Amino acid sequence: MADSPVLLIARQSARFVLRERTVALLATLFVALVLISAWLGWQATATVDRIYVDAAAFLQKSGQPVPPNPVLDISPLSLMRNMSVYVALIGALSAIVIGNRLVGLDRKAGILPLMGIRPISRAAYALGKIAALAGLILLLALLSGAIAALTFLMLPAVAPTAGQWAQLAGFIGASALYMAIFGLAGLGTGAAARSETVGLLVPVTLWLTLTFILPQLTANLNPTAAINPISALAPLPSTPFFDAASQILGPFSLADSYKFASARLLDYLPQGIASPSFIPPVADLVLATILATAFAWRALIRLSMAQGDYNV
Amino acid sequence: MPEPILSLRRLCQVFDGVAVINDLTMDIAKGEVFGFLGHNGAGKTTTIQMLTTLARPAAGTALVAGHDICTDPLAVRRAIGYVPENVRLYDSLTATENLLFFARLSGVPAPQRRVREVLDLLDCTYLAGRRLGGFSKGMRQRVGLAQAILHNPSVLFLDEPTSGLDPMGIRMLRDLILRLNAEFGMTIFMNTHLISEIAKTCTSIAVLSHGKLVFHDRIAAVTARYGDDTALEELYLSLTPVGRLQEVA
Repeated sequence: MADSPVLLIARQSARFVLRERTVALLATLFVALVLISAWLGWQATATVDRIYVDAAAFLQKSGQPVPPNPVLDISPLSLMRNMSVYVALIGALSAIVIGNRLVGLDRKAGILPLMGIRPISRAAYALGKIAALAGLILLLALLSGAIAALTFLMLPAVAPTAGQWAQLAGFIGASALYMAIFGLAGLGTGAAARSETVGLLVPVTLWLTLTFILPQLTANLNPTAAINPISALAPLPSTPFFDAASQILGPFSLADSYKFASARLLDYLPQGIASPSFIPPVADLVLATILATAFAWRALIRLSMAQGDYNV
Repeated sequence: MPEPILSLRRLCQVFDGVAVINDLTMDIAKGEVFGFLGHNGAGKTTTIQMLTTLARPAAGTALVAGHDICTDPLAVRRAIGYVPENVRLYDSLTATENLLFFARLSGVPAPQRRVREVLDLLDCTYLAGRRLGGFSKGMRQRVGLAQAILHNPSVLFLDEPTSGLDPMGIRMLRDLILRLNAEFGMTIFMNTHLISEIAKTCTSIAVLSHGKLVFHDRIAAVTARYGDDTALEELYLSLTPVGRLQEVA
């Protein structure tokens, strides 16, 4: 049976993008950072557990009461908190580059006219590109999820419950959504911009604004604190400015929404702290993904197959 | 006139408020090798873009193999092949990988077999496993022609097919075009500047000047009326506006 045009375009685009060195490098870097994050969490927990086992043996031998294992006092999911920072930084950047290259490579190769004369609709082309992006981002998210799951399986004294496995799956889903927003922005600007450079610069500027600038207004967070998963969740000062800024800009501060969603899903949200936005964090991410999909769709549908190449 | 395979009806195109194609009306019969002549910027490529459904006309319409370019673009695309002036494909893929992709997009049954057949037909099986990145203009033109005929189209559009080719490349391409027309009955619509090529290849010609059709006839009638290639050139130059001739000089 012949493949559908959407599937063909998706498969070919994904294959072509994966051959790109920049994409391969960023994706490898992302996976390497996730591995480091998992290793750090595993190492810290294993060390505390080892010390506890030795101390418990000593206390038992000397007839003293043995306190509970501190490893079991915290949720094992919180060991993966650094992953949220890597997703917000390198994961989002990788997604932008993937999205941009998915359409940018066609425009650079100059093959749009040859695509445009095939018996496929513009909608199939757009859908194929969005499907390729979704597939590649899901692959990245699933790889990080697999690394996290392996870490838990290898950790001594830690056995996540079924609910915690579901929370981990939720975190991977939220991370995929967050990366997809930037990937779709990259795809949309890659299709809409006249030049290759502008197509890449616009989503990178959006990423910088969402990651480092908006959180200063909505969470009183300086840029260095924005890359720390714990300090990023400090309470807001109660001033008229921050009250207004968090209310007005809160729904647009997607990096904040992602941090709050991650903190809740990975059980490291400090007591008494909640997202200042009036839209719940996960709903905010879903809404942003819908808007980004609409933007990418419109840009892809409007991409001229006759004049869309960069050299034209 | 035999049954037309291309019927252009008051076709117009406008870019930035300027009319680049103006009321273009003509019929091209099935099985013709049609040469479309015109100065740079006359609107030849724009006409091909509209007929191949790459661009929507501002007004008017055309029937390609019986299908309306405005209301049934997918059916038009099934019936046509197109070789742009500069054939650009995925440079990092081999000729076979590129052709397989386009064959599948065109819904060609048994695409692997068809790609081998087409490469064989165009005498370029030696290019099959090589990446496009290192191809010469002539090699690219052959692969470009291969992608255009994978689905055995009824009409083949060629935009300046001999541009940038050496004399050997021009001759090989001409032979291929004539073969596709003679053996497979493909109607060829060819934009060109080369009057010598028109005389050797085409069965009918039209001249476009500033978006307007200024001449359309069968080549046999033209040569009977005006004589050899030189006379054809004189005819073309006489149809080109004086302002344009001064610009070239």
